[in-house]
Amino acid sequence: MAQKRVLPQSKETLLQSYHKRLKDDIKSMMDNFTKIIKTAKIEDETQVSRATQGKQDNYEMHVRASNIVRAGESLMKLVSDLKQFLILNDFPLVKAIDQHNQQLRALQEECDRKLTALRDQVSIDLYQLEEAYYSSSSSLREANNLSLCEAYWRLDLDTDAADGLAAPLRASLEPSAGPLQSAAPAHSHASGPGPTEHA
Amino acid sequence: MATYSLANEQRLRALEDIEREICAILQNAGTVILELSKEKTKEQLLHRQAAAFTASVQHVEAELSAQIRYLTQVATGQPHEGSSYSSSKDCQMALQRVDYARLKLSDVARTCEQMLEN
Repeated sequence: MAQKRVLPQSKETLLQSYHKRLKDDIKSMMDNFTKIIKTAKIEDETQVSRATQGKQDNYEMHVRASNIVRAGESLMKLVSDLKQFLILNDFPLVKAIDQHNQQLRALQEECDRKLTALRDQVSIDLYQLEEAYYSSSSSLREANNLSLCEAYWRLDLDTDAADGLAAPLRASLEPSAGPLQSAAPAHSHASGPGPTEHA
Repeated sequence: MATYSLANEQRLRALEDIEREICAILQNAGTVILELSKEKTKEQLLHRQAAAFTASVQHVEAELSAQIRYLTQVATGQPHEGSSYSSSKDCQMALQRVDYARLKLSDVARTCEQMLEN
């Protein structure tokens, strides 16, 4: 036997009011419908004239029909309130919202993780493709039209130059510019995905 | 989670069916009164519509009582303030990013194929 749950008084009162509204509306519908059918019966003996009785019956039927419609509308409002109460206060659904949130976040993180891995892979492949492409068509290029690789290498060289080599030091290091130049591409190769990553 | 939301959706569908049945109740009542207003009434139709009206009213009452009883059992103390809108929006945008990446990759693949053909 299920124990009666203890709800806050407002909720308890609200549910009791829903129950009362349901009973009242159903009772109103049935009573008014029954009375309309009873009133439709033509009686031979009446206290007033037939015309007056007819008018009275007509008015009564109008009122009772309006009562049936009002009860129906009240029931529709009750159903709407029940839907709202169900959405807002259904405990299993409230629990489900948190789980739904967790699942959506997990899916989003997985998508982003896979996109990041894809990005890294594509940048590596792109670097290799560019190298192959520009090296194959290098004879057709103008002097100023540098390939992407050489532009990065130039940038690295300029950065290293600006990083702290003073002019005298630069002058003293000029004879060793060759080894520096050969080291710079290796540095770029080592950090291949780097430039594209910064981009 | 899916079970709970499915059960909740079923309850909401049941409430929508009750709404439709209430409209049918009013329609039945109107048909009965219309039939009564005629000079020559069809008794069978009258009885049928009146029986349908009574059955529908009792059915609606039973269903709504069951829903109120269920709410009495499962209602929480406080209405929930959580929402899954932000996380679903973020997830939707992540999926759109994936679609966009797929589109771009397909473009690159098509370009590579054209280069190879040429």
